[in-house]
Amino acid sequence: MKNTRTLGALGAVLSLSLALAACSGGDGGSGSDETGGGGGAEDNTLTVWAWDPAFNIYALEEAEKVFQADNPDFKLEIVETPWEDVQTKLTTLAQSGETDQLPDIFLMQNNAFQKNVINYPDIFADFTDSDVDFSEFPESVVAYSTYDDVNYGVPFDNGTAIGAYRTDILEQAGYTVDDFTDITWDQFLTIGKDVLAKTGKPMLTGQAGSADMIMMMLQSAGASLFDDEGNPTITDNEALLAAIDMYGQMVEAGVFVEVNSWDEYINTIVNSNTAGVVNGVWISGSIQSAADQSGKWAVTNVPKLDGVDGATNYTANGGSSWAITPNGNEALAADFLDATFAGSTDFYDTILPASGALANWLPAGESDVYSEPQAFFGGQPIYADVLKFAAEVPSNNTGAYYYEGRDAVSVAITNIFNGTDPKVALEEAQSTVEFAMG
Amino acid sequence: MSAPTAPTEDRAPGAPPRGTKESPGRSKRVPLSAIARRRSLTGWTFLIPAAALIVLVNFWPMIQALFLSLQTGRGTRLSWAEPLWLNYQRLFEDETFRLTMSTTFIYLIIQVPIMLILAMVLANLLNAPWLRFKGFWRTAIFLPCAVGLVSYALVFRQIFATDGLANDLLTQFGILDGPVNWLGQTGTARMVIILGLLWRWTGYNMIFFLAALQNIDRSTLEAARVDGANGFKTFWYVTMPQLKPIILLCAILSTNGTLQMFDESYNLTNGGPGNTTMTVSHYLYNVSFRNSPNFGYAAAISYAILIIVAILAAIQLKVGDKRD
Repeated sequence: MKNTRTLGALGAVLSLSLALAACSGGDGGSGSDETGGGGGAEDNTLTVWAWDPAFNIYALEEAEKVFQADNPDFKLEIVETPWEDVQTKLTTLAQSGETDQLPDIFLMQNNAFQKNVINYPDIFADFTDSDVDFSEFPESVVAYSTYDDVNYGVPFDNGTAIGAYRTDILEQAGYTVDDFTDITWDQFLTIGKDVLAKTGKPMLTGQAGSADMIMMMLQSAGASLFDDEGNPTITDNEALLAAIDMYGQMVEAGVFVEVNSWDEYINTIVNSNTAGVVNGVWISGSIQSAADQSGKWAVTNVPKLDGVDGATNYTANGGSSWAITPNGNEALAADFLDATFAGSTDFYDTILPASGALANWLPAGESDVYSEPQAFFGGQPIYADVLKFAAEVPSNNTGAYYYEGRDAVSVAITNIFNGTDPKVALEEAQSTVEFAMG
Repeated sequence: MSAPTAPTEDRAPGAPPRGTKESPGRSKRVPLSAIARRRSLTGWTFLIPAAALIVLVNFWPMIQALFLSLQTGRGTRLSWAEPLWLNYQRLFEDETFRLTMSTTFIYLIIQVPIMLILAMVLANLLNAPWLRFKGFWRTAIFLPCAVGLVSYALVFRQIFATDGLANDLLTQFGILDGPVNWLGQTGTARMVIILGLLWRWTGYNMIFFLAALQNIDRSTLEAARVDGANGFKTFWYVTMPQLKPIILLCAILSTNGTLQMFDESYNLTNGGPGNTTMTVSHYLYNVSFRNSPNFGYAAAISYAILIIVAILAAIQLKVGDKRD
């Protein structure tokens, strides 16, 4: 019996210590990277979270090499973290106050930047004391990561929207890409119907229930779902009504074909099931994955809304910025970003041809690499053109409730297509957002 | 789906199993002998570590979540709600919560009965003495459970894409005139999710039933046959009553699992079209991580789910546990 008791006690102690070991193991495992990075001032390692090995992680690796030229013992520790995980991790760490487990630098979607800065100011270090010259970036892009006139992010990839069209399909219908330059959406619809009748192909495709297109149209007129004080302006929003109306007309006419998922959307492009694409310039990566379509694409600006004040032919979708955290390494992190993403033409010259990562940093556009003709786009120097578009993009007020607004509008669009009166549907969307904010 | 928890509440841990149903009244307690006390102490020693861990990592966070659900504010700027139950009151005004709740109940009401009946039929077929290649069938039917939730949801999304396998086959055989936008309409999108759930979970429940069937004493079945009962009567009057506890377990587990369903809603339809296929858990995730984080309200939603699961489980226990 004594034996049994000893065994029992042993079991208790063992399982407890196992549990403790598991706890400390967890802490040590995830903490060691950071303490490795944040340990001492003389330590030259920075931890970074980014998500795309072919794109932003590749850019980081190149930036590391550029910075190592002057700082030989500098090292980056890149942790591949999908965007959804970055957001979840940041939220969890900030909410629980475990900010010492943050990396030194992380990449953030521009659309989510305001939300995170406003809700979790503790996880951001600002760039006030750094040498980064924000006037060298387009104003509309810097606005995403600026809150109360303080800069919290160095813009990375460019979300400037392009209208990319299949010249061979347009030719069959008797059009050229010039017919799509500086036009309005009304003209686009008219030409689109003609192209559809002659070739059987829609002008555009997109994900059903996604508000991407609407949001791009909205931003092209300098409008957004929120006013300057952050109140939702979904009802009585002239630009939004015009955008939804135009979108509806295009879908109804078959000029814009809705598909259900992102993969299907990409397939319509790759399988030549659409005559054009309107999206952020990053879509050029997917376009170029269809090698057999080389030379058959041309890029121009996007159509503008008719009869809406401030409408332009320029807009943006997506894009991301680098943020730094107040973990003791913010000076080094800011220096690193300043010397690379905000200060090295050589760096952008390397990453552009290899990954299509188009700079937001305006001086990079002066480099020869940007004005090189792109064979895939029929010899057009599209990157130089897109940088010209980028400077014209009106800024978009995202605010802390961007996703609520955008999702509510997506639901409204679905309901409108199912027969709900647009005014009623948008009022519902407005009250949904107001409820979420309340 | 969470792990099954053994229904042990009515028996004090460590106490020797009681043969007769005596009430655990304190007044009638008989002093334990030295050996019994030592034995009970050993039992407790074994139990304490696990119990302490459960309290620490399970119950304590639940209590914290309860406190959290009484607070409002975005991000880390939380303060006590005014009045305290504000977040719960909010639930009743929340259109999206109402929509996602009713969607979840549609899944529950349609999917769980079909799945359990199907699982029962399959289990009986697999248990039939005349069936050959039993191991093969059993594996084939159970295999979907080994597939990750996300991956099967993605495969289903591919199959039911507008240019997917389902449309190809159905138009090929002339059942459909043209491709159907399965995931683009509320009714069909919900149907696809239910189909997915059936495919993924029927085998799982079947294994429970099969195990229970194999534990049934053959002599009871033979007795029924001797008494002249036909196949169905034997099943209904002899087999079913003996399966009752396991049916109850499966019903509770499935109800619980369906109410907490997230992966299918997130990956298969992403809640669309117009949020009409979104489950409550998906909405809960959006409130916490996609939208401007409102953890107080998110905690209130999770408590609402907890309360509903508890009520449904209680009803099922009441209905299913009629001992005669």
